[in-house]
Amino acid sequence: MKKIKIIAGTIWALLCLLLILILFPGLNSFSGSAAKLPFMKINPNYSGGEVAKQIISKNYTIDIRKPVFDGLIKERKSGFVQIDWRGTIPDDITDTIDYDLDGNADFRIRIGRGVQLAEISSFNCKVRKILISTPTSYGWAVRVEVQK
Amino acid sequence: MDNNLGRTGYRKSLGMSLLYTLPMFLITFMFITGGKPDFSDPASALAIGVTFLLVNVLYFLMHYTGKTDTYRAVLFIIFAMTLSYTLISNMVSMRHSMSFSEADIMECKIPFCHLVIPMMIIPAALTKSIIFPGTIIGGFANIASMVVLWLFATIALGRGFCSWGCFYGGWDDGFSRIRKKPIIRKLSESWKWMPFAALILISLTAALTLVPTYCDWICPFKAVTEFEEVTSVETAAKAGIFVSLFAGLVVVLPVITKKRTQCSFLCPLGAVNTLSNKVTPFTVKVDKERCNECFKCVEVCPLFAITREGIKDGNISLFCSKCGKCIDACSKNAIMYGIKGVPAGSMKNFPRNLFLFVSFLFMAVFSAGSIINSLQSLFHYIF
Repeated sequence: MKKIKIIAGTIWALLCLLLILILFPGLNSFSGSAAKLPFMKINPNYSGGEVAKQIISKNYTIDIRKPVFDGLIKERKSGFVQIDWRGTIPDDITDTIDYDLDGNADFRIRIGRGVQLAEISSFNCKVRKILISTPTSYGWAVRVEVQK
Repeated sequence: MDNNLGRTGYRKSLGMSLLYTLPMFLITFMFITGGKPDFSDPASALAIGVTFLLVNVLYFLMHYTGKTDTYRAVLFIIFAMTLSYTLISNMVSMRHSMSFSEADIMECKIPFCHLVIPMMIIPAALTKSIIFPGTIIGGFANIASMVVLWLFATIALGRGFCSWGCFYGGWDDGFSRIRKKPIIRKLSESWKWMPFAALILISLTAALTLVPTYCDWICPFKAVTEFEEVTSVETAAKAGIFVSLFAGLVVVLPVITKKRTQCSFLCPLGAVNTLSNKVTPFTVKVDKERCNECFKCVEVCPLFAITREGIKDGNISLFCSKCGKCIDACSKNAIMYGIKGVPAGSMKNFPRNLFLFVSFLFMAVFSAGSIINSLQSLFHYIF
């Protein structure tokens, strides 16, 4: 038994040496495989959720994302919808958004980029307030609090 | 082959030390330069050359002098400082600030670090997603690469990751070495269980809120990396917390206690790595026959891993990060690196040689990028 323990311990230690020797040359390959694991995607609370609808204007595009209510086990009552403006955005933006894609406008949003203004007029009782309104590398992004 | 020389019982002759360094020399050359050194930019070539020499000289000295912790700590502290420099200079060149904005979070541009891993587990299992605003693959400090690096190193080294791989550990390790003698000697060992409390608390709060609460509210190392832009009372409170924790746990307490207090009292990943000591084959063993119970090892252990009772029983606890400080301090060579299942001292220096090779290789290659980047900046500034 003692000999078996010695041999097993030594083999395990040598395998660990091998593990570190292959780690750095194989890092890209291992990371690529790890990235394919089913849980390896950013939670929508950070990523903003999938794009549900894209509205293409003359100079810019509006991405309306799916509302995010993600909780640990079940969906939360309160969440947000993210709207992204991409491209050459004017200093003043006023757009009407139908976030639930039911054909009716849910809110009108006005953004004054120069004066950091963000106003919302709600046409839907589920729409609450602007949570975040910020310039981004691609243009502008807004998160609006919505109820389920 | 290996000659015992009293206090430094692991010393080797010059020739043997060079021979033991040769594999490290060749492998680090391949890993650091990719086998094709580029001399087109003199500053870069010099930075690579200095880094390559630094790691190999330190590894050589570990064998030649028989001291482990002394030379490990040099690279470990340099790693922590250069990584912070690399991160901060990267942030400043990209954003002209150490702080990141709401837009950076929304665009998932935040570099990932291994301290997030304990908070990821429950949400990853239940929501099939990662609760961190970083990139899964590609770009600087992506999630997949950091998880793979930590996982491989933790399987191989156990809590050794905390002394040979963690790029934050060098900060409190460095500060704990400033004074020759501690001002506060008596600290209750029960504090070492705090990281488990922190682990449970942050795992649960992160799962319930789907926010990496430790990074968001607590992590003291935001002081030397990056932090959320102060735009509200909440972000100001967060800044106050991480600055206070950095000052208290990473600077002041390590200086006055000579212990790594952030690693011992707060780090939730330290708790996970402690458990991983069950898996790794490498361990630190006590030879009871040689031990004269001077308890110098208990005094110098930076992570409260060694107790008087443990030494009397010939045991080192799971909290051990295999830094080698106790081994260097033992005048009787009664403490040594070992392999699980192999009786202490039965394979001469093979366990030490193997562990040093595995752990130092990981640290050398992992740290090389940051050191090269920092030296490049320095050389560009000088020349």
